[in-house]
Amino acid sequence: MFDWLWNLLSYLGLYYKNAKILFLGLDNAGKTTLMHVLKDDRLAQHVPTQHATSEEVILGNVRFRAFDLGGHEVARQIWRNYYTNVDAIVYIVDANDRERFPESKAELDRLLADEQLSDVPFLILGNKIDIPYAASEEELRTALGLHHLTTGKAGAPRGMNARGAKDVRPLEIFMCSVVRRMGYAEGFRWLASYL
Amino acid sequence: MSIDFAQLEEVDGTRWTWLFWPTTKAAASQCVLPFACLFTPLRPLPNMPPPLPYPPVTSREGTVLNPYCSVDINARMWVCPFTFQRNQLPPQYASIPDNQLPSELIPEYTVVEYRLNRPPAPPPAFLFVLDTTVPEKQFTVVKEYLLKALSLLPPGTTVGLITYGQHLQVHEIGFTEGFRSYILRGNKSYDAASLQPLLGLGGASAAAGAGASAAAKQRADATAAGAHSKLAPPDRFLQPIQECEYMMATLLEGLQRDAWPVPADERPKRCTGAALAAAAALLECTYRGYGAHICLLQGGPCTEGPGTIVGPKLDEELRSHIDIEKDNAPHLKKALKHYDEVATRLVNAGHALSVFGCSLDQVGFYEMKACVDRTGGVFVMAESFEHDMFKRSFEKFFECDENGHLKRHFLATLEVDCSREFKIAGVIGPSASLEKKGPSVSTDTEIGIGGTCAWRIGSISPDTSLSVFFDVVNQQSNGIPENHYRYIQFRTTYQHSSGEFRMRVATHAGRWCDGNDLVTLAAGFDQEAAAVTMARLAAFRTENEEAFDILRWLDRLLIRLCARFGDYQKERPETFRLGPSMSFYPQFMYHLRRSALLQTFNTSPDESAFFRSHLCRVSTADGMLMIQPSLIQYSLESAPTPVLLDVASVRPDVVLFLDAFFYIVIFYGDTVAQWRKAGYHLQPNYRNLAELLEIPRRDAAACIAARFPYPRWVESDQYGSQARFLLAKLNPSATHTSGNVDVLSGSAAAEFIYTDDVSMEIFLEHLRRATVATT
Repeated sequence: MFDWLWNLLSYLGLYYKNAKILFLGLDNAGKTTLMHVLKDDRLAQHVPTQHATSEEVILGNVRFRAFDLGGHEVARQIWRNYYTNVDAIVYIVDANDRERFPESKAELDRLLADEQLSDVPFLILGNKIDIPYAASEEELRTALGLHHLTTGKAGAPRGMNARGAKDVRPLEIFMCSVVRRMGYAEGFRWLASYL
Repeated sequence: MSIDFAQLEEVDGTRWTWLFWPTTKAAASQCVLPFACLFTPLRPLPNMPPPLPYPPVTSREGTVLNPYCSVDINARMWVCPFTFQRNQLPPQYASIPDNQLPSELIPEYTVVEYRLNRPPAPPPAFLFVLDTTVPEKQFTVVKEYLLKALSLLPPGTTVGLITYGQHLQVHEIGFTEGFRSYILRGNKSYDAASLQPLLGLGGASAAAGAGASAAAKQRADATAAGAHSKLAPPDRFLQPIQECEYMMATLLEGLQRDAWPVPADERPKRCTGAALAAAAALLECTYRGYGAHICLLQGGPCTEGPGTIVGPKLDEELRSHIDIEKDNAPHLKKALKHYDEVATRLVNAGHALSVFGCSLDQVGFYEMKACVDRTGGVFVMAESFEHDMFKRSFEKFFECDENGHLKRHFLATLEVDCSREFKIAGVIGPSASLEKKGPSVSTDTEIGIGGTCAWRIGSISPDTSLSVFFDVVNQQSNGIPENHYRYIQFRTTYQHSSGEFRMRVATHAGRWCDGNDLVTLAAGFDQEAAAVTMARLAAFRTENEEAFDILRWLDRLLIRLCARFGDYQKERPETFRLGPSMSFYPQFMYHLRRSALLQTFNTSPDESAFFRSHLCRVSTADGMLMIQPSLIQYSLESAPTPVLLDVASVRPDVVLFLDAFFYIVIFYGDTVAQWRKAGYHLQPNYRNLAELLEIPRRDAAACIAARFPYPRWVESDQYGSQARFLLAKLNPSATHTSGNVDVLSGSAAAEFIYTDDVSMEIFLEHLRRATVATT
């Protein structure tokens, strides 16, 4: 899913970087489906996640330890137990579920306000754009109130860890369709540049 | 003509993968699937006579007189059909007229239960072990339910309480003035010898036996609220409910959560492992050899002392399947060893452990599985003590029969004997080996817990079921005459919850058949029993094998079974047919392969342990629900009807009821959901819609009334978030890549599933190809 050059680079003596990432978002956003596609390149229909699970996913030159946490309201109580030492958050939103944009925004705001996560990069994925009438990037950006928060899709400047370089938390939104295997690779590439 | 296996199960509580057995080892191996019995030892049987008030007539080998014995009243002899040994009848059988046979010799009574001639047991003990680090609101609820348990249990039942956080506390309840408890360190394990002096249990001899260092330990480890000058009897800790109910109520009311502060980046310190070891030790000292049950109520993982599954720091995560596979779970081996030791002690003392784990995250079922499975206990998993899955399961756990006796009995021993042409290979089920050798035990085949003909089941209820595996050993040279039967006797000795000791004896006579007579063999194939048996075998194998290999193994056996019993022309898949007694088995395997019983993605180790533990103890019917849930359709036009477990069954104008054992789903098709949202069902002229919404809920409630553990109750509209509980179980006959799906046409489009999984049709097509290609 990543271009050959990227894969090649990771084989050329570059050691894997290890990163702990959390997949967060409301229930039915597509966290588990994404996890499965990243891990096994397989699409499947899963039951809603109950217990948190983790998998090892290698993308480019980053070895991700990805935690898939349940998204239903009660399950969100334990998200905070996983914040320690986290390197990045992948926050997934169902771009076709406009009814729940406010709920999703409220959860995201809570995460962004959390002190433990204050300098952690956020990759926001607007999922399910394969469905007609799903929200556009602009609509979702507005609905989530991200206009002044996103830091640009270019990623960290070469050879520089933006986290040290800037005072701003890297945060960007990428639209994707996990089931069509579209869009999220760009997001993870962006994210990897900050790790 | 097909055989009604469920009806046969009503006769003696057995279901067999194969009802008719080939006479030789060679022919048996060609049947591909094992010869096994799903046996429910205490199943209520409509035709069983009331318990016989006298003890059984037993042969020298331990087998019991039964209708298949040849009896010579005049010579006062009987011949056992297993051993062919002649045995004496007791004097009172000397003059039995033909028309007054004792019940155990009446041909219809192949299962009888005896009241054993033993002094009754003391009332059973329930020792509650309560986690005091659960959140405040839940703590109130769990205490309330503990009190409720006392009201549900028969008043004579003995109870006790151990609480734990960073330390553990053994509470004295046999005391009227003030509360006393012993606080023990949570970072060490306890056995009977080390606990006795700490609690002042067991009298002088025990204290002496524990050695001189015990006194020093006592000073170091135990701080008794009131120092005892002399040893007190054990009943300070375990009291009949009628004596201690008030005391317990007051104690629980005043019981506070663990006072140790928990830093923000840490988990509470919980010494679950030490608390369990101490509970086992307390019962060893006081109830060894009599029925007792430990009920652990825990709100999180063990983080302190023996049995720790994760350190207290939150930056250390709970182990997941991938950690276990990659040997990257640092506490795992030590924890397994600790709980295995506790399990062994529980088994030796005859006690059971049940675990009620209520947390949003894992609590350590994976590590504790041996303690529960080997003792006949049960797991209950819920996200909170406030959740119905805890509350209703907990109430059900203490259910009594119409005589006011608990349905859960104690301290059972299952012994099996059989004809010499075959041997017992082992058992998969909630039991532990008693390592009893005998002529019926297979020496070269072991399946599950083998090498024995006796198993301990620490806690047994009428629905507890085990798989018993057999190995046909008869050689070609030894012909078995026509009309000769194979005999198996199951003897279940147990402490009835009333205190009586009883023995249930089920003697089964099965037919042999010619190993080349595939028609007869196939006619006796119970595909449901076979599917559940294979599921249990597969679940058992997950303890030591990779999931991928297990799936491959299931596939291989399925292909070989089809090749042996299917009807086809070589290299012509379209000619392949399976007879009616086998025709559903491939689809059972299809659903089994996809189920969370075997798949671990999106499942925690605790969840896997929970599912597999229940799979190995439920009835065939319930096991089938786990493998292939039932789906019933309700509509305005027609009566409720079972429909295919297929995405094609999802229609906007129907309501569906899915029963997947661990959860049920009531699913409202899109049109029905919109009618409901519009409130039509509230209008008097739409009574039929109101019924369409109500009847499935009523049916579902009735369906799970007897279910243990209480399942998750899910209601969802089509396209809703929770609809995934249903969709994940359906055969994806239409997917996002199917040609007939038009995602752009809006809500009128037929339902489909986003998946790369193969549909059942493709699976069966591959099976046909693979089968006709075998040589």
